[in-house]
Amino acid sequence: MVFQIALIAFAVFAIVKTRKQYQARKVSKYWFIVFAVFWTLVAIAAITPQTTDIVASYVGVGRGADLLVYIGVVVLFYVVHRLLLKQQQLSDEITELVRQAAIERVSTPSNSPLTGGEAK
Amino acid sequence: MRIVAVIPAYNEETRIGAAVRDALAYTQAVVVVDDRSRDRSGQIAKEAGAIVLTHHLNRGQGAALQTATDYALRYLNPDIIVHFDADGQMQGSDIEGLVTPIMRGEADIVLGSRFLGKQAENMPRFRRLVLRASVVFTLALSGLRISDPHNGFRALSREAARDIRITLDRMAHASEILDLIIVASLRFREHPVTIRYTAETLEKSPSTWRAFGIVKDLLKKKFVR
Repeated sequence: MVFQIALIAFAVFAIVKTRKQYQARKVSKYWFIVFAVFWTLVAIAAITPQTTDIVASYVGVGRGADLLVYIGVVVLFYVVHRLLLKQQQLSDEITELVRQAAIERVSTPSNSPLTGGEAK
Repeated sequence: MRIVAVIPAYNEETRIGAAVRDALAYTQAVVVVDDRSRDRSGQIAKEAGAIVLTHHLNRGQGAALQTATDYALRYLNPDIIVHFDADGQMQGSDIEGLVTPIMRGEADIVLGSRFLGKQAENMPRFRRLVLRASVVFTLALSGLRISDPHNGFRALSREAARDIRITLDRMAHASEILDLIIVASLRFREHPVTIRYTAETLEKSPSTWRAFGIVKDLLKKKFVR
């Protein structure tokens, strides 16, 4: 019971908060609607858990609560994958930055016959 | 023929001076990339006659090699680029043998090998074992049959150096290069070189266990990127 109330309270809080942001023109109308629908569904699921069972049995999973956990795991995997990708991309960009700085500030020995004038 | 040696350096102040002079005896220029060493590697390399580039953050051996190659291709107009080590394990006198097939137009890239005739001196047994395993691994992953996939001693024609762009910043670049040889259909050849292991270089060089890190980086590149 406590869990249900907490979940509903959080859903209401999330919707109110997003509505304020929408009114302050910080998020788009589209995003507000998506967000509101999502949290409304969460609230419905919290009030009447058996409704999720209908969806669950439709896709072939026994219980609605299980289905939510499965979806959660898949989403988390995807998010971690995206984060790793992003982190790799950042690392590559840092390397490129460090590389360009190194090339620009080259330090050449005074007696080198090859330095200077060869730039293309 | 203009031969330029590129040397990645990380905390090698005790050996890099000798390595630069050794390489300079067989090349027209030496480019050292100081990969954010905490010692005087860069200064000593410069005093020994190298052109020195400095990474302000440590980016790894692969990244340093690519920085040196970028610089050389842009400003030094090399016919051949030689990958050389800062720690004195490689012998400058082997450079001649490595570049000859490229000069003759018989190969685009020549890879040094510790297992073709010339003996590696004082190689620990466990390292030999892991290196043997890497042969099988390379064959499986890249389809390249090669006796010593993780030898850092290489010679590349200017065109090969342009084709091979190292993106794996850390140790897996050696395998990446082999991959790119196949992708760019470069003509390659192996050439025996002497690698001299000493107590000092073994202590400095990362553990042979890093092989696992290399495998991880490679798989990441194949499947994630």
